[in-house]
Amino acid sequence: MAMSPVVTYDSTSNIKVTATKAKSLAVRTNSISKPQNGSTSEPGRGQELAERLNDETKQKYVKDKKLGEGTYAIVYLGHLKADPSSLLAIKKIKVNTEYRDGLSMDAIREVKYLQELSHPNIIALHAVFSSKNQNLNLVLEYLPLGDLEMLIKDSEGIRYGTAEVKAWMGMLGRAVWFCHENFVLHRDIKPNNLLIAADGEVKLADFGLARSFSDPYRPMTYQVITRWYRPPELLFGARFYSGAVDVWSMGTVFAELILRFPFVAGNTDMHQLELICNAIGTPTEENWPGVSKLEGYLKYDKAATIPVRGKDFYLSKFGTAGPVGVDLLMSMLALDPRKRCTSREMLEHKWWSSEPRPTAKEDLPKKGGGPERMGEDLKRRGGEIEDGRGDRVARKLNFGVAKS
Amino acid sequence: MSRAPARNGAAPRRPGDEDDICPVCKSSRYLNPSMRFLVNPECYHKMCESCVDRIFSHGPAPCPVAGCARTLRKARFRRQTFEDLHIEREVDIRRRVAGVFNKREEEFESLRDWNNYLEEVENLTWNLLQGVDVKETEKKLDAYKRQNEQEIKQNAAIESQENANTEAQFAAQREQARLRREAARNEELDERREKEEGRREMVDMMARGDGDADTIARETQKVVLKKSTARRTAAERSRQQAAAKVDNGAAAPLFSIQGLKRVVQPAPEKEYDPFGGYVIKHEYYYLRDHYEHSWLDNARSDAQITAGGYDVREYCARAMMEAFGGLGVFVEDEIREREEMADKGVGTASAAAAGGGGGEGVDGDVL
Repeated sequence: MAMSPVVTYDSTSNIKVTATKAKSLAVRTNSISKPQNGSTSEPGRGQELAERLNDETKQKYVKDKKLGEGTYAIVYLGHLKADPSSLLAIKKIKVNTEYRDGLSMDAIREVKYLQELSHPNIIALHAVFSSKNQNLNLVLEYLPLGDLEMLIKDSEGIRYGTAEVKAWMGMLGRAVWFCHENFVLHRDIKPNNLLIAADGEVKLADFGLARSFSDPYRPMTYQVITRWYRPPELLFGARFYSGAVDVWSMGTVFAELILRFPFVAGNTDMHQLELICNAIGTPTEENWPGVSKLEGYLKYDKAATIPVRGKDFYLSKFGTAGPVGVDLLMSMLALDPRKRCTSREMLEHKWWSSEPRPTAKEDLPKKGGGPERMGEDLKRRGGEIEDGRGDRVARKLNFGVAKS
Repeated sequence: MSRAPARNGAAPRRPGDEDDICPVCKSSRYLNPSMRFLVNPECYHKMCESCVDRIFSHGPAPCPVAGCARTLRKARFRRQTFEDLHIEREVDIRRRVAGVFNKREEEFESLRDWNNYLEEVENLTWNLLQGVDVKETEKKLDAYKRQNEQEIKQNAAIESQENANTEAQFAAQREQARLRREAARNEELDERREKEEGRREMVDMMARGDGDADTIARETQKVVLKKSTARRTAAERSRQQAAAKVDNGAAAPLFSIQGLKRVVQPAPEKEYDPFGGYVIKHEYYYLRDHYEHSWLDNARSDAQITAGGYDVREYCARAMMEAFGGLGVFVEDEIREREEMADKGVGTASAAAAGGGGGEGVDGDVL
C-alpha cells in the first residue's frame, strides 16, 4: 500500500494526521516496550512473538453483548479492559465457507485499508486480533446513531433541508476525497454504509470491497458497488476505472438524500441501465467517446436514445438543492467518467460556500438507531442489499451460523 | 483605627454620651432632640448636621476635629449605617474593592484559580484596611481598574441584573403569599355569613311551621355543608388560577433559572471548509501533467482503458507519492501525534445516552 503523503491538519489546530502503517507499528512497539507483560503471564512463555502480541492485543478488549449477526460477521459491543467506560464495536469475521484455507477477501481488504486511513469521516480501526478458531476480530469505533439510510427512509419522523444534506454530503465527500487522495477506491458507497457517530459526524464504513488504484493494464472486477449506486461504466463491464466510480455513488446518494428514495433502483443490472438511461440519458459515442468499446456495451437504437438531460430536468427534480447544488449533482452524475468531477473537484465546488451554510454536526437530525443498527450495518458483506430491498438473490445457506 | 475620634481622652462620660453630644460643637441631644450625626468617608469623624452645614456650606474645608485637618466636602457627608465606625469604614473599603475586583467564579478555569484570586483580593483589602502599604495598594487598584474597565463594567451589569432578578422573585413570592392570605380571609368571612344565613332560614322555617324542628335542622345543615364544599372548591380553583397568573407574570419578563452556566457569546462562525481542515501537499516533488514513457502510451490511448475512466495521471501521482511519500515521515513522531489524537476521541457520554442499553452512566472516551 502506498506510504502516506504528508498530510497536515489545518494549522489552527495542532493535530497532525498522517495515514501510515504507524498504527500497526505502534501496536508492536508498545508491546515490545513492556516485555515483562508477556513474560510474566505463564501462557505467554514459549509462544511465538506474533502469538504473544496477538494475545496481548486480545486481552486489552472485552466483548460485551452481541449487537448483530450475519453470515459474514458477528458484531459485539465491547470495551477496553483498562477502561470500562470506553465503548467499542468488535466485528468478528466468521471463517468463511468460500475461503476455508485463509481469510476472506473482504476481511483482508477491510483491515488493509482501514489501518491506513485515519480521518474523522472514516470509521476508525483501533486494533485487530484473532480469537480461537482463527477468527479475525476488528476493534472498530463505536457509532451508535444508526446510518444515513435510516434517516432517509424515516420521512415521517425526520425532516431535513438543504443545509443538512450539504453537511452530510460534505462529510461523505471528505471521506471519499481522503480515500482517493491515498489511492484507495471504496467501491461500496451507499447510505447504509454511512454510519453516524454520537456527535453527528458521518463516517464511511465497510471497506470490504475497497482496493487501491490499479496499475496500468491490470484489470479490476466490475462486480462491485451495490447495484443502485453502481456507475454505468461498471454496468458496461469496464475493467479499468478510477475514483469516478465512487463519485457516481456519491451522486446517487446526494440525489437520494434530496428525493428521500433511491434515485435509480434497478432490479437487475439491465433494469439498472435502463433506469439510468431514462433518468440521465443514453450513453452514446457522442456523449461518451469510446463507450462502445467497453465489453458490456449495449447498442441502442437511434430512435430509442434519450438525449442527456439538461439542467431544467434536474432543477424540476432536485430544485431544493438550488441551481448551484443541481450543477454539482449534474457533474457528479455525468455519464462519461472522465467528465465526472473528481472528489477533490467536488469539494472545491462553489456549492459549499453558497447559502445555506451546512448545519453544524451537533444540530443534525438524529434518530438513534441504537447499537443494534450498527450491528446490522457492520455484519453485512460488501455489495449486499438488505432483505426486502432490490435483489433477492439467495445467499448460500449457512448451517454453521449457530455453532460459530 | 487611628483616625477615629479619641474616646478615652476627655472626662468620664455617661454611657450613651457619645451618641448625644456633637464632638465639634458640643451641643447635646437634650437641647436639640432632632440632632443627626453625619460622617465623611474621608476620615470618619462624626459631627452633627448643623456643624456640617455651618462649616462646609461654603465649599471644602478642613475637618474640624483636632489633629485631622483633612479637606472634606459637604456632598460626601452621609449618615452612618453601622454604629461602629470601624465597621462602617471596613464596609466602605470592601465595597470599593469589590466594585473593582468583580470577577465571577464562572470566569475561572478551576476552583483553585478562583480561590487564589479571592485570596489576592483579600490581601489587597486587608492592606487598605490596616493601612499597610496604602499608597502601593491604591496604585495597584487604580492600575487594575484602568486596565479592565470594560470587563468591570460588564460584570457589574451582570450582577445588577442578577440582583434585580432575585428581587423580582422575592416580590412575586410576597405577592403570592399576600393573595393567599387574602383569599383565606375572604373564605372565612363567606363561611361565617353563610352559616348565619342558614341559621336564619332555619328559624324562619320553624316560625312558619313547615314540618318538625328536627328535619328542618337536618335539611338546613345539609344545605350549608353543600354550599361550603362548593365554595371551597371554587376558592381552591381561583387560588390556583391566581398562582398561575402570578407565575406567568413574573416569569415572562424576568425569567431566571438558578444554577445555569452563562452562555458564552459564540465566536463568529468560521467559513465552512469543505476539506475539513485537511491539506494534502507534496513537499518533495512536483507532479507533472505528462510523463513520457512508452509503457504508458497504450494505457493513454486504448479506448477500452480510457472509456472506463482509468487515468494514467493517477497512476503517475501514486508512483511519485510512493517514491517520495516516506521522506520526512518519522514513525515515532507520528505515534506521539496519533496518541494525542486518540485522547481527543469522541466522547461517549452522549453515545451512552443515545445507545440506550449500551452503557448507562458511562463517561469518558472511546479510546
